[in-house]
Amino acid sequence: MDSILLIALLAPPMFAAAVAILARRAPVGAVWFDAAAMPVSAGAAAAIALRLAAGGAPLVIGTAWRLDALSALLALLVSVVATLAAWLGPGLERRGGVPGTEIRHFRIYANLFASTMLMAVSTSNLGVMWVAIEATTVTSALLIPLRRTKPALDASWKYLLICSVGIALAFAGTVLAFVDYATTGGDLELALNWTTLRTAAPSLHPEVAQLAFVFLLVGFGTKAGLAPTHTWLPDAHSEAPAQLSAVMSGVLLAVALYAVARWKAIIDLAIGPAFTDTMLLVVGMATVVVGSVSLLSQTYYKRMLAYSSIEHMGLACVGLALGPLGVFAALLHLTGHALAKSTAFLLSGRVYARYRSGKIGAVSGLLDTAPATGVLFAATLFALAGLPPFSLFLSEILIVQAAWRTAHGVVTALVLVLILLAFASLVTHLQRMLFGKAGRDEAGRDVLRGERASVPLGILALPVVLLAWIGVMLPAPLRMLLTYAAEVVRP
Amino acid sequence: MDATFSLLTMTGASAMLLLALAVLWRHHVPAYITAFRMQSVALAFVGAVVAWFGDVSELFLVAALILALKGWIVPRILARMEARRPGDRGLHPLVNTEMSLLLSGGLAVAAYEISRPVAEVISLPTRGGLPLALALILVSLFIVVSRRQVIAQIVGFLMLENGIALLALLGAYGVPLVVELGVFLDVLLGVLVMQALVPGMGEPSAG
Repeated sequence: MDSILLIALLAPPMFAAAVAILARRAPVGAVWFDAAAMPVSAGAAAAIALRLAAGGAPLVIGTAWRLDALSALLALLVSVVATLAAWLGPGLERRGGVPGTEIRHFRIYANLFASTMLMAVSTSNLGVMWVAIEATTVTSALLIPLRRTKPALDASWKYLLICSVGIALAFAGTVLAFVDYATTGGDLELALNWTTLRTAAPSLHPEVAQLAFVFLLVGFGTKAGLAPTHTWLPDAHSEAPAQLSAVMSGVLLAVALYAVARWKAIIDLAIGPAFTDTMLLVVGMATVVVGSVSLLSQTYYKRMLAYSSIEHMGLACVGLALGPLGVFAALLHLTGHALAKSTAFLLSGRVYARYRSGKIGAVSGLLDTAPATGVLFAATLFALAGLPPFSLFLSEILIVQAAWRTAHGVVTALVLVLILLAFASLVTHLQRMLFGKAGRDEAGRDVLRGERASVPLGILALPVVLLAWIGVMLPAPLRMLLTYAAEVVRP
Repeated sequence: MDATFSLLTMTGASAMLLLALAVLWRHHVPAYITAFRMQSVALAFVGAVVAWFGDVSELFLVAALILALKGWIVPRILARMEARRPGDRGLHPLVNTEMSLLLSGGLAVAAYEISRPVAEVISLPTRGGLPLALALILVSLFIVVSRRQVIAQIVGFLMLENGIALLALLGAYGVPLVVELGVFLDVLLGVLVMQALVPGMGEPSAG
């Protein structure tokens, strides 16, 4: 049963990529296969998550695969967001006008990208986790310049170089931890396995463990968009096709932060949580400052969403440093952000299709020209700004509460101020887009008015409803899953 | 026996660091590629030495793979990219030669300081080379951030990978084989993707 669930989780995106590679003549068939396959993956992730939320044992297959509550949470987020991207990706709309090769490229690399992320969160070997996360860079870098424009190529190159170098430093950290483990005389073949490392962790050498964590935080932090190596993120996330931005912003950053959290749990067993907490707090706060302050002056809406991702990753990083309640809040925050940000990016694609411009100033009267898209876009931005009833409101309150409880008076105040700043910037930019009179697009044509109810709109409404539901009710299975996942990071 | 082992690995590790430092005063991309090729050969040599003296037979396979991939295939890809690259052949690094060497000297000293706790807990005869591995990591990082030409940046990144591989070889006789193979795959794919992205671009900086 366990292996069937694992195969159902990992195989669909791989098959979908393979079908897209083979279906040279009929990309449409590959698209439909993809749209039908991804929900299988999400269903398997949900089944695993429900089992773990009910207090079930981790899903362990041999020594290679292991999904505990933390893995299950990430697998669920990745597969759900990848499903949204598959459903709304190029090739399904009737009047698409997207070239067949572009559709095929998207379906190949988006699915390989999803596979590598799912592999990263379900492997039990922290070395293989590194390999998979490095592979996410390669697969997604190929998709950013789908249209092969110069800014997209430049952004992709910057992303590839900075993240490859960053992630190489994370490998140096992994090797340092492995070298340290080797001195304890354990079995070297299984050395990087989560359970082996956890058992051996108390006998690691404090100074080496600290050094390893510094490398790991800088490395995976680069990939998670943490300051000061976040510089690739605004370019990559704004130049990528909307469906890819949705997956990169929504879940890839969370997967990188997942790697940090995994290693934190190990290093904490060796030297206690004080060191890693301080590091995460400093890096996290710096990131929130960068994200919130940069939000003020954005002129492109996709860049605005990208800086908002930096702000939210910073908040989650701060949460990880604030004890058990903070870790719970951080994971809830990642959940809310995955849903809200991916939906916002998918909607930004619809906005672009209508106005043919990425500038905030060029979009006006969105509520008038495209009422449904406008309302949904407003809802996701309200969610990202931390307004009730959405779940990010709840997680931000919990992060502030955790900061207060762990007696970080200054941190509490600073976080509150920065959250308010981000809120003000987002809402200001949003109201410029929503209201006013719709003008002409870049080509000088009148912007198309009105939109009919359609399947994509229905799909895009789902995450918004889900966000409100989580924010108001915090359903018991999710609460339990988050509780168990938090216990993995901070027992 | 241990003395020979230690001497051979130290020689290989020193050669690797020297090759990274050597590119700092070179102004042409082919010199970078050659230095990387020779450095990879030195890494394969260290791998083979550790395999022989440390009695880890799978490292022979790893050494052979290093030789094939980093000593031959990747340098060939880089040379092809260089041949196709249009325009200005100069490197124009952000930091001049004298300053580069001075800073790298500082990084090497820092590497000795940083690696002391690691070298202290290890009892393997190869531990003497650990500061060299860390120095190689830091100097390569410096190459990436201080060069503006894309192929020089890629070489810096690949030298960084070599430094980490050296660290793993000297500190623990290599990481588990499955991880090692995964890393090879990532390096190859990474370089192929970098190659695919480069044509048609100017000279971007690392930001």
